[in-house]
Amino acid sequence: MSKLGALKVELHTLQEKALAEFSKAENLNALQVLRVAYLGKKGALTDVLKGVGKLPAAERPVIGKEVNAVKTALAEALRACEGKLSVLERQRRIESERLDVSLSGRQSARGSLHPVQQGLDEITAIFSQMGFEIAQGPEVEDEFHNFDALNIPPEHPARAMHDTFFVKDTDDAAMLLRTHTSPVQIRTMKRLLEEEHALPLAVVAPGRVYRCDYDVTHSPMFHQVEVFKVGEDISLAHLKGVLQHFLSAYFEKDVSLRLRPHYFPFTEPSAEVDVACVFCVGKGCRICKGSGWLEVLGSGMVHPNVLKSVGIDSTVYSGFAFGLGVERLVMLKHSIPDLRLFFENDVRFLRRMGA
Amino acid sequence: MKLSYSWIQEYADFKVSATQLSDDLVRLGHEVESVDLPREAVKGVRVGQILSMIPHPNADKLKLLSIDINEAEPLAIVCGANNMGEGDKIPVATVGTLLPHGLKIKKGKIRGEVSFGMCCSEEELGLAEEALGLLILPPDAPVGAEVGEYLQLEEAVFDLSITPNRGDCMSARGLARDLAADAGLSWLEPELKSLDEDANMAVGSIACEAEDDCPLYMARRIEGLQVDEAPSWMKQRLLAAGQRSVNGVVDVLNYIMLDMGQPMHAFDADTFKGDVCVRGAKEGEDFAALDGRVLKLHAGDLVIADAGKVAALAGIMGSEATAVSEETTNILLESAYFRPASISTTRRQYGMVSEASMRFERAVDPAMVAVAMQRATTLLLACFGGSASVVKVLGDVDVWLKPREFTCDIARLESRLGVAIPAPLDDVLRRMGFDLARNEGQLHVSVPTHRPDVSMAEDMSEEYARVIGFDAIPAELPELPTIQPMQKDTSVQDAVRQGFVQIISYAFISRQEQRLFSSQDEQDIVLENPISDAMCVMRRSLFPGLLNTAKYNLNRQQAGVSLVEQGRIYSKRERCYHEDNILAWLMTGELLTPHWYAPSRDADFYDMKGAVETWLSARGLVARFITDDDVMGLQAGQTAKVLVGKTVLGHVGKVDGDLAASFDLDKAVFVASLNLDILPKAKTAKFVALAEFPAVERDLVFLFDHKTHADDVLQAVRKPAGSLLMGVYIFDRYDGQGVPEDQVSLGLRMSLQHPKRTLTQEDSDQVMQAVIETMQARFGAVLRG
Repeated sequence: MSKLGALKVELHTLQEKALAEFSKAENLNALQVLRVAYLGKKGALTDVLKGVGKLPAAERPVIGKEVNAVKTALAEALRACEGKLSVLERQRRIESERLDVSLSGRQSARGSLHPVQQGLDEITAIFSQMGFEIAQGPEVEDEFHNFDALNIPPEHPARAMHDTFFVKDTDDAAMLLRTHTSPVQIRTMKRLLEEEHALPLAVVAPGRVYRCDYDVTHSPMFHQVEVFKVGEDISLAHLKGVLQHFLSAYFEKDVSLRLRPHYFPFTEPSAEVDVACVFCVGKGCRICKGSGWLEVLGSGMVHPNVLKSVGIDSTVYSGFAFGLGVERLVMLKHSIPDLRLFFENDVRFLRRMGA
Repeated sequence: MKLSYSWIQEYADFKVSATQLSDDLVRLGHEVESVDLPREAVKGVRVGQILSMIPHPNADKLKLLSIDINEAEPLAIVCGANNMGEGDKIPVATVGTLLPHGLKIKKGKIRGEVSFGMCCSEEELGLAEEALGLLILPPDAPVGAEVGEYLQLEEAVFDLSITPNRGDCMSARGLARDLAADAGLSWLEPELKSLDEDANMAVGSIACEAEDDCPLYMARRIEGLQVDEAPSWMKQRLLAAGQRSVNGVVDVLNYIMLDMGQPMHAFDADTFKGDVCVRGAKEGEDFAALDGRVLKLHAGDLVIADAGKVAALAGIMGSEATAVSEETTNILLESAYFRPASISTTRRQYGMVSEASMRFERAVDPAMVAVAMQRATTLLLACFGGSASVVKVLGDVDVWLKPREFTCDIARLESRLGVAIPAPLDDVLRRMGFDLARNEGQLHVSVPTHRPDVSMAEDMSEEYARVIGFDAIPAELPELPTIQPMQKDTSVQDAVRQGFVQIISYAFISRQEQRLFSSQDEQDIVLENPISDAMCVMRRSLFPGLLNTAKYNLNRQQAGVSLVEQGRIYSKRERCYHEDNILAWLMTGELLTPHWYAPSRDADFYDMKGAVETWLSARGLVARFITDDDVMGLQAGQTAKVLVGKTVLGHVGKVDGDLAASFDLDKAVFVASLNLDILPKAKTAKFVALAEFPAVERDLVFLFDHKTHADDVLQAVRKPAGSLLMGVYIFDRYDGQGVPEDQVSLGLRMSLQHPKRTLTQEDSDQVMQAVIETMQARFGAVLRG
């Protein structure tokens, strides 16, 4: 065989072998090794080219052409294999990175707001949006603000209804834990009257109150929100309007309400306010004891003696006031069956109810 | 107060159902707690007569009865009682009856024998607490009749909660007056019968030395009584009203009280020695009350006394010695008006309450004092015989019968209610006893003596509101200011956002708990009448509440808790009462439960401190934390005070180990507390241009003395680093192998930046050199790298 013939055979064999090896390459790295082995500077093809110099000059272009053809063929084959392998490798990588997405994510600690706090915030926000100013007062109160100024003189039977905690060893005036948020009425009216243009005033006063009563349905400490408005021509109809708006906003639905004449020393007329049972919608159930109504708060038109005690002329001004029991409203809104849950502070309960 | 419908019906011809009457009562302001229907409750129970009684073939203790209930066929009933015999009349609950305790009567088979009903005891009919056998009815009971009708059980009994201003409604007469006026029914007051008085009988010497507290006192003597039981109709009414029968005289007087609202008292006249006097008690005077208590009276308590002893705490309770018994023949009968405040003060002083005191302290109707005396006497004589003296009257009756009068502006009344008050409504109030006249927009009011609660225009607005009905008043929104300053405090909400669970605990704790974190007990606010010793002093720290809550939850399988509470602490300093608004945290045990991605880790000091720092940073505040070894209850060396500027806002620290253990808390407990009242106001963020040129980070690691405080190191970096320093923090801390004992390696990472140009290597090298020199000079620190 001529040298040319032998080279051609050699080239052919090389090509066959290379193509076979390319197609067997398992990954891009192996393919790269093969590329170097066949097409590199010191590769197999270069070795073959070394033999070209020994050929007669006339034959060189022939074999040159052959070599280029093999080179092109191999390069193309490499590209093709590379394409296939890179798709394969990408698939393999994706497969290897596959996660169990059902495992829980990394969580940051979640806190929770106490349900009573949520209630206080919601109630206060509703009145605040309606234009009532937020006020506060002391919890350790004197008898004057808690009783006398609210038209409850010392021997008044209503004092006994209040189950008051008294403070020991007081020096002058008897001190007590306020039994309601109503003393904030007195303190706020006095404060605002010292400012100019105090009237008309509209105030919402959330806070803690205390009664010496501790059983399944009574906590010695609980929360109230006092709401009052004083101005010219404030009427019982206004009281009803504000209550209607508030209760519908709080329960997030239209609730019907019922006012029953009642007695509080600091209001005249006075009314207890019931809402149509939010559980049975007035049909009668265990929660409302079959009556279809739930008592939610006490209200009334501010008694002239209360206005007088802070120096407001009751022949010109009138006002309404009411006190909401926060725990009661929260229990109704969230179907919480037992008052004691609020102060046991079981974190399982708090987290479940927490926002 | 309980009262039967039939009693109210004595005063007007009410025809509405008990449910309707209950609604009417509520609408008029008389709260109805419940309505009992004793007769309805035993509907279907009929009078039966036992025709025959034979032993049950399959059971020793049972009997087979054949009972006539006036139907075509007698009933076969299996019965287990043994106090009856053939011919006896007994109550039979027929098939379909629902008994008061919820038992529904069905046709049944008992040990193979069919039974068509049940024979009942008093207990099963709800007439008694317990019973030993069947209720045997009198022989004249009509067979087949409904037992409820035959026994004349009340149709309805109202349980009422009368408000303190309406003492006039604490009687059948008073309630009926309100209801009848509202319904427009005519008034059926029984006529007052004239009485044959024995003009010769001496009443005895009675004087009143306390006219302020006892402006009206009437007394009469009744002799020759033969005290027997009160008539059964009366006892039944009293029982329905919740009044136990005592003896005939007491029952009659209780009946008058519930009927007319005037409490009365009868003394055994033969127990009196010498003159009787209504007077103020002497300080320390003994009084042996009817309820068995012996009181030492205080000066000023109103009493009825004879020469030797106190016979009654006026209007509240009689003495045991002068009480009327079955043996009594002569009585001194009292009817009076006592000043409400006097009764209220005295009875509260001794923690006493009686049906009489409840009425006197709400003011009785002075006009009824004499009427009740007359009616009671008539009843007593009719029931128990005897003769009555004339009535001795102390006080000026006429003064008390004068109605109170005032005038009010009708337009003001209408504006107070927000609704018109048409003139025809006046008639309703007139029927309630008001004398009303309208004249040129003015309303002239004459208030009846039974309404001491009405004294001004505003009171009339309530009367009109009641009769208009609160439902008829429209709902209108008043004009309200539209803009209000927002002053929302988000303290606790921010802490919650950081992962803490908010708790609310009682503001009163035990003395022992108080002493854990606060000394100086003279600052304590102690309660006079606490619920218990565990709740007797107002807290001066939120930590006891947090610790108790941690204990409660760790006892319930929680591996750790992160709690926050916002609330007040209370103290008394220099005779002033102080309340401070506090935010306090507690962390103990596992921060997070172990997960596939991370092991669990217990809370440590830096978790607690970090929470406080983060909370403060949300308010634009940066605090310094300085070791404070003298905080009560917290461990020295792991406690710091929190300073912003020069103000100490509070503390962060580890709870003393023994103290924590006393709350059953085994793992380290960390707490923090900040006084929100002295917290500087959050600063409004001001825009600062973002740096144009890149910052360079440089690290330096030194060996320091182990006691060196990181804060001091960081403060010391600032000066040599100069204005190029944007920030510095400790990125590494190591005191393990390779670090000499008593030393610690701290790595400082500094961020340097030039406002106007890119920082050069030289710039930062200079800064590093200055820092190194300062660290060496100031702390003797050795550069590690």
